[in-house]
Amino acid sequence: MFFLRYYFWIAPHVLLGIVLIGLNRRRLLSQLPFFFSYSAFEIVRFAALLTINLLPSFSKGQYHWILVLGLGASILLQFGVIYELTSELFVSRSLATALNPVLRWTAAALLLVGTAVSARLAVLGGDRVVNLFHLLDLSSSVILTGLLLVLFLFTRVLQISWRSPVVGVALGFGIFAAVDVATAGFHPAIGSNASITVDLFQMAAYHVCVLVWITYLFLPEKAPVFIGRGLQEQDIELWNQELQKMVQR
Amino acid sequence: MMIPLIFAVLGLLALALMLYFAKGRRRNGGDLDQLALQLKPIDINAFRNLIDEREEEFLRRNLPSSEFRSIQRKRKLAAVDYIWCAAQNAAILIRLGEAAKQDPDPAVSAAADKLLDNALRLRLYAFQVVPRLYLGLLFPGASLAPYFVADSYDAINRQAVMLGCLQHSAREMSSAS
Repeated sequence: MFFLRYYFWIAPHVLLGIVLIGLNRRRLLSQLPFFFSYSAFEIVRFAALLTINLLPSFSKGQYHWILVLGLGASILLQFGVIYELTSELFVSRSLATALNPVLRWTAAALLLVGTAVSARLAVLGGDRVVNLFHLLDLSSSVILTGLLLVLFLFTRVLQISWRSPVVGVALGFGIFAAVDVATAGFHPAIGSNASITVDLFQMAAYHVCVLVWITYLFLPEKAPVFIGRGLQEQDIELWNQELQKMVQR
Repeated sequence: MMIPLIFAVLGLLALALMLYFAKGRRRNGGDLDQLALQLKPIDINAFRNLIDEREEEFLRRNLPSSEFRSIQRKRKLAAVDYIWCAAQNAAILIRLGEAAKQDPDPAVSAAADKLLDNALRLRLYAFQVVPRLYLGLLFPGASLAPYFVADSYDAINRQAVMLGCLQHSAREMSSAS
């Protein structure tokens, strides 16, 4: 169990280094700056926490505070990634404008649900910092899962094709956030010793998430092959004119 | 213990849904001529008649209220069919537009971009209008009519123009292949 915990703690963060290399190799830094910053920050956060964990001069309380502050910053970056994915998916500005209110309201509703449930699950008399950590963790995972679900739903409904690395980023976050939602509730309910199992589930999900990112970043993207005549320039112009007439309000 | 269990089920359900939605959303190729053949012809005049406010008013005045409600219901269901058809045509246009975006000619690629934008917006509007029509079925009173008519009448009329164009182009594409 001890080995497994350390493996799931260390391995994903080492693999995040490969994600950074992949992003650089595919020249995605300018397209996904938040995702790049998130990956780099997670590595730094891990290095800081590992150092504090190993050095005896730091107390458990200090470790917890740095854990919570790091999580707060990480959550902000994760929402930046969602913003990035939205802009990447809905290249059309007008479409993004139409969908933004939906995403805002979804986020607001999920924030309420997440906070209410986290507050309900908080252990009375427990460590306040640990409770704060679980509250932040569960609330952010609920919001992230909901927003990603809405994004996936819209791409399905609107028949938008995803570019390969963007699918990978969204899917990785989706797996990680959904498993977090599924397991985070058990943390305070079953006590700190038994919650090691929950931790393991979450860390394993993060490992899978990083592996998904690596797979999508390093697997060669197949260019779609179309056969047939398709639309010619004059057809496209004609469609544009007619569609524009129709969608202008 | 109940809330964590509910969250466990919701989390797993969300995961399954995301995997399902993500499946097949990568760019795929395909036969463009086959796609163009899938564009469905629509009777524009009949559609215009279905959403005509004056026609509705005429029916309201001349028919007993129960008969009017029954006919309105059928008219709205038929309008929903037309709108779904327009949305499906827009989905095909999105794929055709994506293919055209790969064209080496920058003019074609730029035009395809605009086409994609408009087709996506049409699909979004279609998904906004259909629930309103269904709501109109549930509440056939006048209260919903202004929303539907004021907001969507214009857009649907323009849809009709577009659908006529779709019909025309589908025929052209079929004869070309």
